[in-house]
Amino acid sequence: MSWRTVLLTIVAITLGAIAAGAQPSSYNAPPTAYKAPRTADGHPDLNGIWQAVNTANWDIQDHSAAAGTVVSLGAAGAIPPGQGVVEGGEIPYQPWALAKKKENFAKRLTADPEIKCYLPGVPRATYMPFPFQIIQGAKSIMIAYEYADAVRNIPLNNPGESPAPAWMGWSVGHWEGDTLVVDVSSFNEETWFDRAGDFHSDALHVVERYTPRSPDTLIYEATIEDPKIFTRPWKMSMPLYRHVEKNAQLLEFKCVEYAEEVIYGHLRKKPSK
Amino acid sequence: MDIFEKSRASELFTSVIALTLLYAIAAPGQVATKTWSLQHTPDGQPDLEGYWSNVTITPLERPAELAGKEFYTEQELAAKEKQAEQPRSAEEIAGTIAHYDFHQYGLDRTQTKHGLNLRTSLIVDPPDGKIPPLTAEAKKRAAERAEERKKIGPYDGPESRGLGERCIVMAHEGPPMLPPAYNANLQIQQGPGYVAILHEEIHDTRIIPLDGRPHLGPNIRQYLGDSRGHWAGNTLVVDTTNFNDKTNFHGSGENLHVVERFTRVDADTILYEFSVEDPTTWARPWKAELPMTKIKGPIYEFACHEGNFDMVNNLTQAREQEKAAEEAKKNQK
Repeated sequence: MSWRTVLLTIVAITLGAIAAGAQPSSYNAPPTAYKAPRTADGHPDLNGIWQAVNTANWDIQDHSAAAGTVVSLGAAGAIPPGQGVVEGGEIPYQPWALAKKKENFAKRLTADPEIKCYLPGVPRATYMPFPFQIIQGAKSIMIAYEYADAVRNIPLNNPGESPAPAWMGWSVGHWEGDTLVVDVSSFNEETWFDRAGDFHSDALHVVERYTPRSPDTLIYEATIEDPKIFTRPWKMSMPLYRHVEKNAQLLEFKCVEYAEEVIYGHLRKKPSK
Repeated sequence: MDIFEKSRASELFTSVIALTLLYAIAAPGQVATKTWSLQHTPDGQPDLEGYWSNVTITPLERPAELAGKEFYTEQELAAKEKQAEQPRSAEEIAGTIAHYDFHQYGLDRTQTKHGLNLRTSLIVDPPDGKIPPLTAEAKKRAAERAEERKKIGPYDGPESRGLGERCIVMAHEGPPMLPPAYNANLQIQQGPGYVAILHEEIHDTRIIPLDGRPHLGPNIRQYLGDSRGHWAGNTLVVDTTNFNDKTNFHGSGENLHVVERFTRVDADTILYEFSVEDPTTWARPWKAELPMTKIKGPIYEFACHEGNFDMVNNLTQAREQEKAAEEAKKNQK
């Protein structure tokens, strides 16, 4: 190989890399060449303990660092800056809903369901700053979240109609090639998407896609549809990282205890006069 | 098998015992009946997957009047079944305005095929079917706990109420897992290297690694403890330690050590055995067993804390009563 060929190869590789980097909203797309290891029944193996490493739980959109809502917590309570996970950047709220989101944000110290240790809903459970574990069986897939013992059972056959709206919705899964696709519906209207007041109604419909990207990363995509709140469907995406520690496991985060003062404090017995 | 169907479990239970004996004799994986053979998950674990209920009318401890009697006769069981059906509705209890029908699914303790069985206690060892006496240390602990409870009134604040009422954890989740008053539904899910047990109430998932790793360090304490499992032949053996001192399992402290054994004995049945030890609580270890029956499922979301009106109502009523008492006092003056 002559020096000239080497140089041309380098130029070609560099151009290729620039071209790849310039593809719109593809930064989260899995490299097509990656073939995930299989489980014994032939599906991509998603088993493991995973976590998002981002600030989406504070705000799923671009945001600068800011002071927190509890002044006494100082720097420890401040909002970390972050680039958003919403593809295209904007959430297509209907005008009244955008106003409502701003109102939620103003009242977030009392109105965010996370404050009360309520179940986080989907997709928020995925990017809470806590790990979650996928336990993949042949007939169903369980996702257990460390936060608040939230859990989803995702059957891979049709479980029929949801009997009632639920905080974590009603999940049904299927495989599309290397991607686990989960259709989630039958939500109540109690959960938020983040601490910034982003919200939905009981018409929320989420389609999640979990795609292996490398041995220790997955790409998570969630398409959000809610005609009562948004003008069109929109999408968020982010990588999920595997906890590779040998002793990694979910621990108990039973946050009810930490929320009782907030919820019931006003109903305590007053010290007798 | 219809979960609503009530059936006499005695014969079935006898066959469970027979099958269990077969297990002890036969080499692992070689048990076979005409209608059922042990299945395995794709990664080769004996298949425990599905939805289960451990509801039963059998009490943990043998009642005093049945001393020396390990099993009911068929006639006695029939009488027991009748007794379990009374009252039919909460409305039959004087002064009750609730609409509970005790025959509805979830409230009926005889609802699964193993709900009724001939055992007079779940405890099989000691042979008297009783929890061994508390040690001196455990009695002291119980007295201290009682003192602690006296410091606050029963409705002073959320901490005055039990862990279940606070929606933190239900006593039946254990481990060991014991039948609750209602909603004994659980799901077992298996994935490579793990078994997970999800209790519908209160959506707690106990994830049990099977890779032989050591327990958590002693400074991490949990309501459900820390579970490690392995397969001994076709039996899943789960060892749990690292409890906190709040679960208080029949007087236990944080040294509680539970070993559970799950054996699939037929299409509809897991034989669940457990042994409990805590030298700081009981003079000797003790053991119990109960069958878990397959149910249709699925498990639904039991959002206990999110809908905890009970706590709000109880505390509100207590404050109202205090206010009324204060008013009455003022008026007397």
